Amino acid sequence: MIRAGAAALRAWSKARGWAALSTAPPAPPAAPEPRREEPPVPPPVPPPVPSPVLRSCRVPVVPPLSPLQAWVGSLRHPEDTLRGLADLHPDVFGVSPRLDILHTVATWQRNYKRISHARVRSRAEVRGGGRKPWRQKGSGRARHGSARSPLWRGGGIAHGPRGPTSYFYMLPMRVRVLGLKVALSAKLMQDELHLVDSLEMPSGDPRYLQELARARRWGHSVLVVDSDEFPENIIAAASGLKSITLIPALGLNVHSLLKHQTLVLTLGAVTFLEQRLLWHESRYSPLVPFSLPHRDPPPPPRAA
Amino acid sequence: RGALGGSGHERERRAAGPGAAALPAQGLPGQPQAQPRLQKAERRRGRGRYGGRKCGRGHKGERQRGNRPRLGFEGGQTPFYLAIPKYGFNEGHSLRRQYQPLSLQRLQYLIDLGRVDPTQPIDLTQLTNARGVTVQPLKRDYGIQLVEEGADIFAAKVNIEVQRASELAIAAIEKNGGVVTTSFYDPRSLEILCKPVVFFLRGKPIPKRMLPPEDLVRYYTDPRNRGYLADPSKVAEARLELAKKYGYVLPDITKDELFKMLSARKDPRQIFFGLAPGWIVNLADKKILKPTDESLLKYYSS
Repeated sequence: MIRAGAAALRAWSKARGWAALSTAPPAPPAAPEPRREEPPVPPPVPPPVPSPVLRSCRVPVVPPLSPLQAWVGSLRHPEDTLRGLADLHPDVFGVSPRLDILHTVATWQRNYKRISHARVRSRAEVRGGGRKPWRQKGSGRARHGSARSPLWRGGGIAHGPRGPTSYFYMLPMRVRVLGLKVALSAKLMQDELHLVDSLEMPSGDPRYLQELARARRWGHSVLVVDSDEFPENIIAAASGLKSITLIPALGLNVHSLLKHQTLVLTLGAVTFLEQRLLWHESRYSPLVPFSLPHRDPPPPPRAA
Repeated sequence: RGALGGSGHERERRAAGPGAAALPAQGLPGQPQAQPRLQKAERRRGRGRYGGRKCGRGHKGERQRGNRPRLGFEGGQTPFYLAIPKYGFNEGHSLRRQYQPLSLQRLQYLIDLGRVDPTQPIDLTQLTNARGVTVQPLKRDYGIQLVEEGADIFAAKVNIEVQRASELAIAAIEKNGGVVTTSFYDPRSLEILCKPVVFFLRGKPIPKRMLPPEDLVRYYTDPRNRGYLADPSKVAEARLELAKKYGYVLPDITKDELFKMLSARKDPRQIFFGLAPGWIVNLADKKILKPTDESLLKYYSS
């Protein structure tokens, strides 16, 4: 206890000293000496680091949302995966996972093209059956009017398929757009989305592409999307493979996204998709079909 | 496999989900208790398709045998729809002219958002392109009418052309230095005005706008309604009278920098600004074809 007291005393005297005990008024601080004129030495500025972000969002991201980021690689070498970062728009790649919308759009894609050609003959179309088989009364058998009624063997079908039947229907445009956004967001969320700066390859050998996909652990099926023309090498490589498919960005659809395990997008495709999918959020209703010349709404006025 | 094993308590916790571990089964203290789940009512069976047994048709009679009388039949008593005498509420409804209302508040909203440009004459085409109004010429709509809602907050100088306008709406626009005109469009011209792109794709010449029918001539020749067939000098007098009536100072638009735009008006036979009847607009080649034949020129300029 005495030792602790001594240690405390030492600490106190180091801090303020015996001067704190004196009752005399504190001495005024000494006037500062006139400084010699010397230019102040600025702190050392580090050299500017180049930003790793290779691509930023063309469409402005409204706060409080902030862009998502993903690594950008390339196909020139199997280990060339970390060239830089790309900003992804949160309203395209970060929407909430609406599985019901995915189901709706995928079902629509399957069914809207369907035309069922199943058709069976009704009692009017089956050959024969015009004459009454036997007289109405007295024969002891059940009464019948035609030998081709649905009750008879060889007779027509009462309520069969009367094709061709069309199962065509259209989902609202915005639901289909949301389906694409949800699918892209799901791919990003589940680490199945990979970005490349371009699809240039050193050779058109399918084995090279297969080896690359295996080395990067892309999965058993890969969907490669580009906005412009594909280079010859990748066309040659993918045409020899069943598990890797190339499609233009215009052909992107929910069914393909769900069917293929991995999605590989070029930066051009990302720009194209963001611009096309986000246009629907602020567009006029179609007074005339959008294929005709039309004017888009002006951007909302910024608050001063 | 893992879900089946473990003690009952653990199974309950696993079934509740990963986030429910912290919540007690009885609910949080102080929160309204959730009602315990009642025994599910036994499912009605009966087997067979459509519910089985009687299939929801009832027992015997017309109901089960599908022989119910027609809708509205009351067992022989004179039914309601015959007992009530006829009256011509809807008589001639398909011949009555309808005008879609456009409030000054809506107009101000569109101008503020930049969807309608006040530095150009405002027409039904501009309003339709901005999706400010929806006009259906096939449903006996003959255009739009200006309505006073928002007259106190309206503060835009516009040259607007509508089909009908109330007095207070005219006053509100003229007070801000604008110009109102009421003009008539027959249904064919109205359809062309509302959807010009579709019309130009047809490749037909722009028709002449027809003059108003007898009962509307009086309306459109009246300067108090700012009719397009009225005398311009009388319209100027009516502007002064209205200013006196509502007690505001009428701004002098001749000294305005936009005077040329504010005084732009259409010819009674013209549908579009800058395009005359008889012309064909070729959108694909971006060209306008004008008639050269004398008889055509005479017809279209009459």
